[in-house]
Order: sequence, then structure tokens, then C-alpha cells
Amino acid sequence: MLRRTAKRDRLVGLFIAGAVLLNPPILNLVGGTLFGWPALYLYLFGVWAALIAATALIVERGGSGSAGRERTEDGDQP
Amino acid sequence: MSQQAIIIAAVAYLALLFAVAYLAEHSTGRFSRLTGSSLVYTLSLAVYCSSWTFNGGVGRASLSGLDFLPIYLGPTLAFLLGPVVIRKVLRVSQANRITSIADLIGARFNSGGLAALVTVIAVIGLVPYIALQLKSISIGFAALSSSSEAAHPMMQPLLADGALWAAIVLTVFAMLFGSRSIHPGEHHPGMMVAIALESILKFVCLTAIGLFVGYGLFHGFGDLFSQAMERPEISALFEYAPDRYGYNWIAMTLLAMVSVFCLPRQFQVMVVENVDERHLNRALWLFPLYLLAINLFVLPIAIGGRLLLPVDTDPDNLVLTLPLSTGQPFLALIAFLGGLSASASMVVVETTALSVMVCNDVVMPALLRVKALGLARKSDLTSLLLWVRRAVMIAVMALGYFYMRHDSAQFALVSIGLMSFVAVAQFAPAIVGGLFWRGATKAGAFAGISVGVLVWAYTLLFPSFDRSGALSINFVVDGPLGIALLKPYALFGLTGLDPVTHSTFWSLLANIGAFLGVSLAGRQTPIEQARATLFVDTENLDEVAQIWRRTARVPDLMSLVSRFLGREKAAAAFTGWAHARGLDPATAVQADAETVLFYERLLAGVIGAASARVLVSAIVEEEQLGVDEMMRILDETSRIIEANRQLEDKSRALEMATAELTEANAQLQVLDRMKDDFVATVNHELRTPLASIRAFSEILRDHTDMPDTERNEFLRIVVTESERLTRLINQLLDLSKIEASGAIPARSAVVDLAGVIRESTSAMYQVFATSEVELALRIEADPALVMGDHDRLVQVVINLLGNAAKFSPARAGLATLRLCRSGGNFEISVTDNGPGIRAADREIVFERFRQLGDTMSEKPQGAGLGLAISQRIVAQHGGRIWVEGARGGGAVFRVRLPAAPASSPAEKTLATAP
Repeated sequence: MLRRTAKRDRLVGLFIAGAVLLNPPILNLVGGTLFGWPALYLYLFGVWAALIAATALIVERGGSGSAGRERTEDGDQP
Repeated sequence: MSQQAIIIAAVAYLALLFAVAYLAEHSTGRFSRLTGSSLVYTLSLAVYCSSWTFNGGVGRASLSGLDFLPIYLGPTLAFLLGPVVIRKVLRVSQANRITSIADLIGARFNSGGLAALVTVIAVIGLVPYIALQLKSISIGFAALSSSSEAAHPMMQPLLADGALWAAIVLTVFAMLFGSRSIHPGEHHPGMMVAIALESILKFVCLTAIGLFVGYGLFHGFGDLFSQAMERPEISALFEYAPDRYGYNWIAMTLLAMVSVFCLPRQFQVMVVENVDERHLNRALWLFPLYLLAINLFVLPIAIGGRLLLPVDTDPDNLVLTLPLSTGQPFLALIAFLGGLSASASMVVVETTALSVMVCNDVVMPALLRVKALGLARKSDLTSLLLWVRRAVMIAVMALGYFYMRHDSAQFALVSIGLMSFVAVAQFAPAIVGGLFWRGATKAGAFAGISVGVLVWAYTLLFPSFDRSGALSINFVVDGPLGIALLKPYALFGLTGLDPVTHSTFWSLLANIGAFLGVSLAGRQTPIEQARATLFVDTENLDEVAQIWRRTARVPDLMSLVSRFLGREKAAAAFTGWAHARGLDPATAVQADAETVLFYERLLAGVIGAASARVLVSAIVEEEQLGVDEMMRILDETSRIIEANRQLEDKSRALEMATAELTEANAQLQVLDRMKDDFVATVNHELRTPLASIRAFSEILRDHTDMPDTERNEFLRIVVTESERLTRLINQLLDLSKIEASGAIPARSAVVDLAGVIRESTSAMYQVFATSEVELALRIEADPALVMGDHDRLVQVVINLLGNAAKFSPARAGLATLRLCRSGGNFEISVTDNGPGIRAADREIVFERFRQLGDTMSEKPQGAGLGLAISQRIVAQHGGRIWVEGARGGGAVFRVRLPAAPASSPAEKTLATAP
């Protein structure tokens, strides 16, 4: 139960971070080009990809990790 | 490319999709396992990317850069809140067999009228969106069929109108997918697989075009971007500008966040078609990943189009015209099929969802209420249901077509789509409020949705007619009747926002305001309160049965459900339910409340909650709900208070236990210290005599020429110290023996206390004589018979006398030993005229090794075991020993022992006693 709550809270935290980073006024701080590419394009897709990667990490690892831990805990019980 | 070839390719493609759907539903092999997988679930969510993404997104990007992106960032953010919001929607919907978003709102607020309102709004709001898909297909078709400059679709004769053909073909396919048969719970597994396949296809097509643009038309994307940056009108889109994106970006993000579960087709694939809640976990990141991947090449394609194509090219058609104009008709056909996939999946799912909504929440409740039709008595209604749905699909499609004919080419694709987004966003406050706020009322939801939609229509829908020339132009420019404050694009003088943002702000403000205001001002009926509790506390969903205590006969329910679901499916469902509850489906006749609820939900899965309730209530006997039961379920707070109280009790108990533990710990610490003292004392007491014995023995061994007198003196000391050692060891053994034997006397016989005292005093005579203390003996009861152990009692008296001799001042000492009878007891008291014992010390003198006075400065006069032993012996005899202050300043030790029973066989035992 606790695990699930922690997972949920982390995702809510990611949501807040994403909402701030992907919206003005932070968004308007990016401009010009980077290596000849539009910096805004790189920034938006970069932050977006990072959010997705973090979500995947939280969701997938959190799920199997806690199950495994529960099992070993059970095993340790005399 | 000829029109026939394109049509054949398109129809063949759609037929292939249908074959896939059919196979998925009917085969039993590997194919059928696809239907319930999290991957198919995620890909079916991608129905979100309609032809709007495929064509409109590129068009918008070519005009204004990256501001198409919030439409996809919004769902990403919404899915981050998935475990909070979407999971709740899923659970509530599955528990209540919700079949559409109208059903959800209707069920939450227990109102068929509200469901009908939502349905009507959804149809009105989504017609432009469906029109958009038709328009996109039609312009694609036109662009492809005339390789040169595309003739405007409006100018073509009716039969050559691609949009009409598209509408007809898509309607047929929607009917084939969505209303071929009645499925319990509105699951369409085949449709889901087909949609998933289409999602893969549109992604592959758009990516292929993107790679073609990047590497076929340019030397990689770096080349593309560097060429673009040389064009000032393009590079201006990406330069640093502190106020480039403002409220418009935020509003689009918000709209997209909300739409991802408020759009009927999204609700259909995400909630209604969900077969396993765990699929959502995977979709939480996989769906955003799909959105990212499909949008990766949108900007490069758009910029490539800007660079290579003439300025007057229709931006919404870039994906097609780019390969066409560069001599790649086959790639253009692939692009067309990708766009067709996007449109087809959107139209199929959207019309399916809308047809279910209209059929279940508007048409069927209305038809069932008309008694003259006698529908409630008809034996098989499945075909009626199917035909109602098909008719709705045709009607929705026709509306879309006419809207497109009327309004087409007036707006870019994205603007039309956003109009629909704002419409469905009006459902969000009622849904989110309804699921998380118990105080939300039916009237509040009604007010919020109605007001929001009116504002939407005024600020967005009517002006769109106006722009297309149906109304007088003055309406938008000057406001109605020339009132400038009511201008639809600048309501109350609010300017500086684009029309969509403007409408989003005002409509949602009015919506949320009315929803909260009316809910707060109003009052909930008990049934409303019950519903609110059930929907807000998802855990309690099973208790819904107990709110309505309804009973019915199983055959009645069975025949009712069979009419809508078909006899076989109904029977199979009931058998499964009965087995799960341990009933025999063949003999169960009377249906209890839960069984009635099961049937109602089964029915709700087919015709919606509103109709199901009407139908079921016709055949059940409904009992009025008992007030107490009602209160038990409604008053969730009381249960929380109860839980709270129990928690408080528990913590109080815990506090008490803690206090006890603390006390025990303190005692243990005292005991520990006493043990240390004990060891130290024993050490000291045993070592002192041993040391002197050893010292004197060594002297005697080493000095053989010692005078006899001295030698005798030393030997005397050795003997005395040995005796002292023996005494100490005996006492220790005594004590441990007594403590081990506990409260049970070692030996019990009749003992004469007077005899005991005489024996003891004669034994102690020498001691008193040496310490020059006078001993007075006053035996007032003779014989004084008690039950006990003679030797032990002697030990007690000797102990007391020894103490008196020890503590009385030498030469002037006076000790008194008195034996008397008091009631049923005999009392021995030993009084001395020594320093006495302080009141505070009178308890602890009986503890082991307790020596009064400062042990550091004074040599202890004994091991400190005598009184401890005495106390335990007296206690074994059922008596009591205590100490008082004597009148002259000394101490009085009193021992009280119960007298032996007069008529006991005492005399005989006495005869044999020593």
C-alpha cells in the first residue's frame, strides 16, 4: 500500500515538474538554435522524453521491485 | 493517379482492417490473444491522433512553428495524473458497468436527464470534429486524384465528391465494427485490434514521410534546419521571444489534458474497452511515448514543405503534396492511407461511442417510456438496439458531412478540432468534481454543464457559422445589437486571446462557477448523498446493493435481460455469477438485492444505466429503505469517527502499556543495581574473613618460633573468622532455599512459640552477656501454639535478638522480648533502646543486603541477610513482620503469627513434636 502511494506521489511530482517546464513562462526562455537545430524543438522533445523515461522507470521498476521485495520478506519469516 | 485506383486501394485497406478485426474476435489461436494485451490497449488509445495530427498538425506547424505541440503534451501530463484520476474513473466505471461518458455523469448524479444533456452536447460538439475528418480525406483524395493543382472539392460534381464517398464508406465500416452485434459491457475486442493496427500504420506512414523529407529531399535534418534558418520568416518562429507563448499555449495544454478522457472516443477506448486495470500502468508511459514518436517528424515535414512548395499550397495537405510534387506518387498513396487510417479509426470509434450514448441515454429511455409501443413486453430487442445504433451512426455522419459542406475550407483543421475540444471540456468539472467531491449535486452539474455549453456556443460555435456567412457579419465585429461588451470574441472587453483560448476561459469559468455555486447553495437528497458516497469512496461500491433492497424472481430478470442480450449470453452470464456466489443456477428462483443489481448492471452494459434502471424497476419489488440502514451507509463520516475512536482507544492502550513498561524498566534497573550491590557485598563479606584466615594462617606457617600465647590468639581469630564465614554461607543458603520454596512452609507442625523463645534466648544469652545488654523476657501467653517449622521460627527470634544486641548501646542497653496474644494471632515483639530506624527506612530494612547508614564510611555489622530471611520465613507461616519506633527512641520489631486452630489434631502432633 505504502509502495503504491509512493509511486503515485512520484508521478504527481513529475506532473508538477512537467507542467512547469513545458509551459510559459519557462518555455519562453528557450530560443535560437543549438548545433543548427531550433533550440525550442530540442528543448520540448528533450523534456518530453525525459518525463516519459522517468514515468517508465517509476511505473515499471516500482511494480516488479515491490513484488520481489515482498516475496523475499515472506521468505525471511521464520 | 486515377480516382478508381485510389478508391480501390482505400477500400481494400479498410477491408483488410475489418478482416483483422473479424479474425481477432473469432479465431482461437495466437491472434485472439492480442485482444486483451496492454500493447493493444495502449495503441488503441492512440485513436487520439486523428487526421488532425496527420494533416492538421503539419499544417499548423508550417504556419506557426511548435504551437501544435500542447495538444500532445496535455495528454502526457494527464497520464502522469493517471494513477489518481484515470484509475478512479476506470474503477467507478467498471463497478457500475458504465458504457459512455454520458452514462458516467448520469449514474453519478442519478439523473437520466443529465445523461441525455451530455449526449446532446457531445453530438453537437463532435459534429465539427467528424466533419474535419471527412474534409481531410476529401482534400487528400482531391490532391491525389489530380496530380496537378488540386481542384477545390467544393467545385466538383456531387458524385466525384471524395468526402461523400468517404462518409458512406466510413459509415458502413463503423456499422460493421461498432454495431454488428450486442456485446455485454460494450466491449469490441475486434475493433480494438483494428484500431491498434491503424495506429501502427499511421505512425509508420508519417515516419516514412518524415525520413523521406529528411534524407530524400534534404541531406539530413541538420541540412533541413540550417536551410530553414536562413529564411527569415521561418527562423523568426524559433528566435528567442519572451512573450511568444502565453495563455494560448496554457489553454491548449489544459484542453488536451481534459479531452484525453472527456472525448467520447477516448472514454470508449480508455475506460469502456479496458479489460484489465493493470493495462493502464503500461499505458502511462507507452501512450505518451507514442505521441512523442508520431510528432517527432511533424516539424521537419512542415518546414520542408515551407522550403520546397509554393506559398499558396494548402498547409493542411503538405504531407501529400510533398511526395507528389517531388515525383513520388507511391509515397503519396502511403501518406494518403496513413491519413485515412487516422480518420477512419477516429470516425469509427467516435460514431460507435456516440451511437451508444444516443441509443442508451436518449432514444431507449424515451421509447421505453412510451407505453403505446409496448417495448417492455417485446421478446427480443437486440435487433431494435442495433438498428437504433446504426441509425444514429448514419445521422451523426450525415450531420458531419453537411457541416463540412457548409463550413468546409473556412477554417484550418486544427481550429475546427479545438472547437470540439472546448465543447467536451465542459464535462470535466462534473466528472472530476463528481468523483472527488461528495458535495457535488445534480443541480450543480446541470447548471455547470448547461452554462458552460451556452458560453461555448456563443463564443465559438455561432461565430463559426457567422464567419461562414450564415449570419450577419456584424454579430462578431460589433456584438449583438451593437453592444460591444457582448462581442463573442471579446466578451466583456477581454481581448488579446485567440478565440479558442477566449472561449475556454469564459466557458470553463462559467461552468465551474455554476457547478460549485449551485452545489454549495443547494441541498442533496438522501439518494444523491448515497450516490455521492458510493462514487467518491470507490471501496464501497459493493454496498450499492444494500441501499436498494430489491427482490425479484430470477425468471423475470432472465427474460428481461435475454431480450436485450440474447438468451445464450444472458444464461452464460448468470451461470458465471451464480457459480461465483455458490448458487445453483438451475434452482435459484428468488433473486436477492445483489442478484438484482447484477442483472441491472448486465443490462446497463448494453443499454445504459438510465434505461436499465427503468426496466428493472418495472419488475422488482422495491422496499423502502430503512432509515437506520440508510444512515449507516450514508453517514460515512460516522464510520470514520468510529475508526478514529478505536484508533484513539488503541493509542491509549499503547500509552498505558508504555507506562507499564517504563515502570517495569525502572524496577528492573533497581533490581539490577541491587544485584550489583549484592555481588559487591557478598564479595566483601566473603573476602574479609577469607583474607584474615589466610593472613593469619600464613603467619603461623612462616613463624614457627612464635610464642604459644600469640599462636593461640591467632588460631582463635582463624576459628572465629571461619565461623563467620560458615554463618554467612549458611545464611545465603537459607535465603536461597526459602526463596526457592516460595510461600509453602517447608515443614508444618504445631509449634509452641513460648518454647521457641526460651530456646532462642538461652542460645543468645552469651551474646547479650558479651555486649553487656540486658534482656528482659515477658512471656504472657504460654503455651502459644502456631502451625509452622520450629527451627525456622527459632532462627527468626535469634535474628531479632541478634539485631537488638547489636544495635543497643553497650552497657546501657536494654532489650525486651515480649510474647502475647492479640485476637487470633500471637505477637512477638523485640524492643531495643538503640538509635531506632527512620520511618522512611522501615520498609527497606527487610530487603536483602540492606544496611542502614552510610555503607561507605561505616563497616557493615553483618551481611544484611538476617531480616530478609526472617521476613520470608514469617511470610511462609502466613504472618507478618514489621518495625515501629519505640517510645524511648529505639526500634520495635513485631512478628504476628496466626494461632493454630484450637480443635486441630494439634495435641497429638505436639506429643510427637521435638
